[in-house]
Amino acid sequence: MDMDPDASESDARGPSLGRNMAATVVLTGLAILAAAPFAPADALDDARARGTLRYGGDMEGGAPYAFPDPDAPRAVTGFEVEIMDRLARGLGEDVRAEFSQGQWDKLLWVLDSGRFDVVVNGYEWTPGRAEDYLATRPYYIYQLQLMGPKGSPVRSWDDLKRPRPDGSPWTVAVLTASAADDFARGRDAGAIRVVRFDGATDAMLAVQNGQYDFTLQDVPAASYYAGAFPGLGPVGPPVSRGYYVIYARRSDTALRDALDAGIGRMAASGELRRILEKYGIWNDLQNELATSFEGPIATPSSSRGARGWRLVLHYGDRLRAATLVTLGLSFGSMPLAMAIGLAVALGRLHGPAPLRPLLAAYVELIRGTPLMLQLYVLFFLLKLDPWVAGIAGLAINYSAYEAEIYRAGLQAVPRGQMEAALALGMSRWQALRRVIVPQAVRIVIPPVANDFIALFKDTSVCSVVTLVELTKEYSILANGTRDVVEFAAAAAAIYLAMSLPLSWFARWSERRLGAEGAKGGLA
Amino acid sequence: MIEVDGLVKRFGAVEVLRGVDLSVGRGEVACLIGPSGSGKSTFLRCLNGLERFQEGRVTIGDVALDAGQSDRDHARAARRICRRAGMVFQGFNLFAHETALQNVIEAPMRVLGMSRDEAVERARGFLARVGMLHRLDARPRELSGGQQQRVAIARALAMGPEVVLFDEPTSALDPRATGEVLSVMTDLARDGQTMIVVTHAMGFARKAATVVHVFGDGAIVESGDPDRVFEAPAHEATRSLLSEVQAA
Ligand SMILES: Nc1ncnc2c1ncn2[C@@H]1O[C@H](COP(=O)(O)OP(=O)(O)O)[C@@H](O)[C@H]1O
Ligand SMILES: [Mg+2]
Repeated sequence: MDMDPDASESDARGPSLGRNMAATVVLTGLAILAAAPFAPADALDDARARGTLRYGGDMEGGAPYAFPDPDAPRAVTGFEVEIMDRLARGLGEDVRAEFSQGQWDKLLWVLDSGRFDVVVNGYEWTPGRAEDYLATRPYYIYQLQLMGPKGSPVRSWDDLKRPRPDGSPWTVAVLTASAADDFARGRDAGAIRVVRFDGATDAMLAVQNGQYDFTLQDVPAASYYAGAFPGLGPVGPPVSRGYYVIYARRSDTALRDALDAGIGRMAASGELRRILEKYGIWNDLQNELATSFEGPIATPSSSRGARGWRLVLHYGDRLRAATLVTLGLSFGSMPLAMAIGLAVALGRLHGPAPLRPLLAAYVELIRGTPLMLQLYVLFFLLKLDPWVAGIAGLAINYSAYEAEIYRAGLQAVPRGQMEAALALGMSRWQALRRVIVPQAVRIVIPPVANDFIALFKDTSVCSVVTLVELTKEYSILANGTRDVVEFAAAAAAIYLAMSLPLSWFARWSERRLGAEGAKGGLA
Repeated sequence: MIEVDGLVKRFGAVEVLRGVDLSVGRGEVACLIGPSGSGKSTFLRCLNGLERFQEGRVTIGDVALDAGQSDRDHARAARRICRRAGMVFQGFNLFAHETALQNVIEAPMRVLGMSRDEAVERARGFLARVGMLHRLDARPRELSGGQQQRVAIARALAMGPEVVLFDEPTSALDPRATGEVLSVMTDLARDGQTMIVVTHAMGFARKAATVVHVFGDGAIVESGDPDRVFEAPAHEATRSLLSEVQAA
């Protein structure tokens, strides 16, 4: 896939406040924004009045940032949690910090909606974000560390400039929309292929599994998880550098200033260092935290590039490629699901007696467990290729539903049809193949077409096996450009364009079937 | 040609057939009459193996269905019997997704391994015989009940059966269609086709049957020459059946 560096956070230009509000309306249906003109109070006053400072993060991002406390699984711990506890107390005697869970790449959108006051979760400072939100001074200076299998002949990034000996590109697993994603995408010049994961540890697991060559991780995650993934080791020195900052809404200047000053105090007193050392992520670079920052990083004056619909057109190729992935997954899996479903239904109704309970159990097991989990098993345990895992996962998942539809369809064929076939000397198998199944297929066309529409949208779950389908691409682009509304509308329009013909087909076939039934007479 | 000995059929605890004996020779037309619920359909379905039975034995030519057979042996024997014994149902049961012609060529091609051309050639002959040559490409839902039943008869005949079992073939039809179907059946009888006919059409039974068996409550209560049975019924059940039919 061709990755356009323009989508990266650092090159994109921030949207206007008005656009941001529109995005919020679309995303949450609520326009209760601290930024709204009718809500002038600063979130600092609210936090003090409430006694809680709510900060957003994603525990799935994992340690050492904010993660479930191994000693008290309902609680959250991590170096950011400890920093926020300290900062909250700095706001007032009785102010407590309160963690609020959100999906990592959507945290800023949730911040817009007002569900929490700030975002603190390894969010790096970028000019684009700094235009739309208020940032504090950094509480950590991160670098990116390439990790690969221990004993890999590759020693540094420079070795990745040439493709593998067999000519194929190196694969680099990253966390979607992270700094590593931006960095790797910028170097995606033929010799490297970027593979996107929804979780940092998923990426490490896949590399340790041998499914991909390397993973590029923020140094804190790389150091913290060194023990958990013994098969992985650092490749070359850390690259790039950037700053983790706290983001607040544009209207909450007082809150931002208070937190910024708090970080300054923690850096000067050595408190910050103690916390970072406790999590094993202190290094010499961090000395700059106390020495180089007197306040928030300056916001650059921006020159706006393409915006809105022009930007959607600009990324048309990527949306088209993602649409093809969605189509490929749908059309690859649905015929398989229908075939497996029919076989299962036939087995349950007409197969050998010992097979029947097994098939019933298959249907219940597959229907009773989430598609996401099934994809995990296929991809991380069986280590199938992403396309194979995606198509097989969808096919298996939907086969259980199709089996039930077919079972009803087979049972809806009048008994007399089977008896007439048997009375003519046909075998049971011949009767099924020539008489019963063809009629059942006609009966199940409408519900199966409906299921196909549902499957179309379920293909989005395949992003967990690194396939960049339409929803994932939308998420990447909306994140990178923050033109959420336009990209959401474009993605929705594409989904509709694909599912509407199916809807029409389903309704048409239903009508036709209804007409046949009405004229059917005795059968 | 067809021998039935001591056939007993139970659905759970309910004994539907209580020891039926019957013998039908080549070229005979045996009509089974009896009140509804007396087990006539069940009896026909036991004859060609659509139902299993608990006691007794059915022999058609050199193939036997036996109460003691394993399921597998029974299924195998039933399939062989079905090649020789055609069946015509009260509800026609034409294959709903196929045209009249496809209905008739299906089994000769799949079961007898006939070529398509040969099967079509023969099918046209049978469809002509039942007066349906003009609707070859019609699907069942486009045909009237009488037309469907005539196609169903052609479908049964296309297998060249030694015997055709009819289960109330005209009960679902209006008088005109009934007449059409019965005239086809009368022709068949005249041509020497062995038939076992469950029917309430007493006129047909009297005219076409070589023998009439009266079913009552799971057993044959009276058998005989049609004229004798209709003129001088010996059994109480027969008398009440005939008076019901006349009243209707
Ligand atoms: N599949 C079945 N299960 C239980 N009872 C049945 C079944 N088929 C028929 N019977 C019963 O067997 C009896 C005879 O039915 P049937 O052979 O259809 O009679 P007839 O054709 O003479 O009207 C009826 O009492 C009917 O309810
Ligand atoms: Mg009956």
